[in-house]
Amino acid sequence: MSKPTRLRIVGGAVHDPAHDVDGEIRDVCIEDGRIVATLPDGVPTLDAGGMVVMPGGVDIHAHFASSTCNHARRLIPDEHAGDRAPAPALLEGEARSGTGGTVPSTFTTGYRYAGLGYTTAFDAAVAPLLARHSHSELDDTPCVDGGIFVLMGNDEYLLRQIEAGERDRAKDYAAWLLGATGGYAVKIVNPGGIEAWKSGQRNATGLDEPISGRNVTPRAILETLTDAANQLGLPHPVHIHCNNLGVAGNVATTLASMETLAGRRSHFTHLQFHSYGGEPGKTWSSAAAAVMEYVNAHAEVSVDVGQVMFGPAMTITADAPVEYLLHKSSGRRWTNIDIELETGCGIVPLTYKDKAAVSALQWVVGLELFLLSQDPWRVVLSTDHPNGGSFLSYPALIQLLMDRTVRDDRLKQINQRHLAGSALADGLAREYTLNEIAIITRAGPARLLGLRSKGHLGVGADADVTVYAREADIAKMFSTPRYVVKGGSLIVEEGQLRRAPAGQRLRLAPGYDQAIERDLRRHFEAHSTVAFEHYPVRDLPGAAVEIGRAG
Amino acid sequence: MTVTCLGCGCGCDDLTVLVRDGRIVELSPPCPVARQWFGDGTVPAEIQVEGRTASIEQAIEKAAALLSGARRPAVLIAPDLTTQAQRIAIAAADLLRAEVDGATSEAAAAGLLAAQRRGRSAATLGEIRNRADVILFWAVDPRERYPRYLERYAPAQGLHVQNRATLSVSIGADRGPAGVELAAEFGPAEESDALAVMVATVRGQRLGELPAALRPAVALAERMMKGRYIAIVHDAEPGREARDVQRAEGVVALAQALNDGARSALSSLRAGGNRSGAEAALTWQTGYPMRVSYREGAPAYEAATSGLSRALAADAVLVAGSAAALGDPAIPLDRIPAVVIGPAASAVKGAKVAIDTGVAGIHEPGIGYRMDDVPLPLTPVLPTPRGAAETLMRLLGALRAGAGRKAP
Repeated sequence: MSKPTRLRIVGGAVHDPAHDVDGEIRDVCIEDGRIVATLPDGVPTLDAGGMVVMPGGVDIHAHFASSTCNHARRLIPDEHAGDRAPAPALLEGEARSGTGGTVPSTFTTGYRYAGLGYTTAFDAAVAPLLARHSHSELDDTPCVDGGIFVLMGNDEYLLRQIEAGERDRAKDYAAWLLGATGGYAVKIVNPGGIEAWKSGQRNATGLDEPISGRNVTPRAILETLTDAANQLGLPHPVHIHCNNLGVAGNVATTLASMETLAGRRSHFTHLQFHSYGGEPGKTWSSAAAAVMEYVNAHAEVSVDVGQVMFGPAMTITADAPVEYLLHKSSGRRWTNIDIELETGCGIVPLTYKDKAAVSALQWVVGLELFLLSQDPWRVVLSTDHPNGGSFLSYPALIQLLMDRTVRDDRLKQINQRHLAGSALADGLAREYTLNEIAIITRAGPARLLGLRSKGHLGVGADADVTVYAREADIAKMFSTPRYVVKGGSLIVEEGQLRRAPAGQRLRLAPGYDQAIERDLRRHFEAHSTVAFEHYPVRDLPGAAVEIGRAG
Repeated sequence: MTVTCLGCGCGCDDLTVLVRDGRIVELSPPCPVARQWFGDGTVPAEIQVEGRTASIEQAIEKAAALLSGARRPAVLIAPDLTTQAQRIAIAAADLLRAEVDGATSEAAAAGLLAAQRRGRSAATLGEIRNRADVILFWAVDPRERYPRYLERYAPAQGLHVQNRATLSVSIGADRGPAGVELAAEFGPAEESDALAVMVATVRGQRLGELPAALRPAVALAERMMKGRYIAIVHDAEPGREARDVQRAEGVVALAQALNDGARSALSSLRAGGNRSGAEAALTWQTGYPMRVSYREGAPAYEAATSGLSRALAADAVLVAGSAAALGDPAIPLDRIPAVVIGPAASAVKGAKVAIDTGVAGIHEPGIGYRMDDVPLPLTPVLPTPRGAAETLMRLLGALRAGAGRKAP
């Protein structure tokens, strides 16, 4: 079939939770890359009879297009050698070969996302100084619309503004930085902790701990950037990776962070890594129930889970002190890159083993977060790819959520040491429905990201559609969609990638008080190794969404 | 507006260039490497097939035929290309099922391989500028090949450092800077052992009786351990002394070990011409930073053999970039059917096809990478005789139209 400008997907069971459509047999009509209400007779059709139709998947949090990812790629030539990816046989577009593993090469990343039925993805942690690199990688990542979350919260200029009580200027800085980097959202990683790591303080473990001897605390950073994002009217709230990731007992920090921001819209990411009870160096336990009790009761909070899946992973994060500790405890290879005046980067390859006590606990905690959630619109699916596992493991995760038998069988096989008192070990009967899966993998993340034309199949939406053939094996069903339509183009046919269009770049240009540029220029001239006028990324594809600009 | 220099890997982006009558006549601040790299900005603008002037259409057609007809083609990404152009050259290699490599020197390759085995602890240059209170120059005085490194990235003071201690090691003829707080000297054969002694000292391991020649390594390590943020600066490019490949692993290990008690970062000095950009683009497109073979239809890593030496076994080669800066020793392009697209391509003797282009950052806009993997915008100061990215894209189009993807 050639690329149609019109297409009618006929007879599928449509799951479009944004419009309360739950498995209704109906047609989906596409014209010029958008969903339309009707089409005349005689247009090309796609028979989806007996199949499941959903909007294209939306990955709210992954790491796949950044300088950090590129450093990680260099660490795993063995993985790449074991997963060579020949160029797909495309009918249209440039076909490129590549390599896979936990951090695939860029073209392969795009192809594999498309092969899962995902059509939108965000790289969730990009150092502003290296945003230019991320956009180059996105240029070479086909099939998915995408963007970047820009790291803030450990940057010298911001810390100075917080210290000086200049919250309006901090807001203007966040707006300027998003525009300068072509970013989509504000990302906080271990607020203050990375600066502490670089200054010799090693880390920030308490919300009221001064950072590097300054009058700045993690709590003040959280509050300042959360308010900035909300006052700017950004489509996605501040995206928060809390302090104390991966540490026993970190639930106290997580809940304290949430309580600090109570009443303010905020998104807490890879919550699984932040939901542990116990005591550092002594005991571990699940604290998922306590965390979800809070999340369920606070409509202003959204989260993604960051599920751990057993098997190889690559931990890559700006949370450099965590990676140092992981290196020391695991003895695995370790890369650390300190990024001037802004942030950091740490990388350690890792394997989650079901017989390892902490890995098993992490697996359980993630599933508990999903299963104790009362509002799937606010608790969305992620593995923090590739930190908890590859995005290729999403189908297996969906199976664990939808099939209690599979889940309970797996639970019996894993290390039980830290599972006493866990809700999952005590028995959680819930099984996700197809509609709930549609919410946590596309409708929910799209809504949380403020992507009005994604995650649904209403008139005017982007024609990103995935069609799954029903299978008894749920993992198989979700790993090999029969058809995928991207922007109106049929890119997967009969399970084979046939077209690989370039993705759209999703980025913002928030308004700000231009006076800040004078102050920023002085700051750059005094301390930066990059000239102020060379810092902004220019010539990006597509137009940025302008927000809050005067006039 | 200031411009970025790719003369060495420092990537200084604060240069002011004065152009008069189509020539660069003044450059500030003064830097001998920048002056040599920019020159007067004039470059040849010829198109040649078999040494004779040709049209761009003829040249592209001939180049596509030569490359697509080869059984064992190679693509060499030479210096002075934007990263945008480098990406197109890699795409051509993929289509041709070619061997592809950049201008990564043997010495730099040893560092990349060491980092693959161990990881590494590093920093962007501004972090060293603003944070390092101890800097050890390991067998290099940057003033020689990286003239503005000290001024820009290791001045006397930085944002978070008021007093910076400088230490120096010399290895045979590769001299560290003089006039520093503590200096030591080792013979080339002792270099790896000296690094091992320093790592052991940092880790608090018992060393036993050391040979006299290695004892200064202990004092150096002990001084470094008094720092809060220790930078180790070494030259990743070939020096005067032949180097033990274990040396690269030694400096990586030392920088990592120092993080147990303080913070430490390794700063690897790299040559210019956007070599780091080629490694970055190769990595994101293939998973490997150098020495990639597409012969089996997907990237394979042939880390043990440089692409430059494998090019000698090719039956056709595409050189994208400044061929004159490609290798040491230079590849005998008159012995291999060669298509050369880049600055001064027409100066390559014996090339079957030569298409002159501008130089990244002098004539062509785009992105160039600093030695610390920071991408910078390149702003041209002169018009290009012919865009390298545009020309390579044209070749890629001809390859796609003519041969499509090669069968296994």
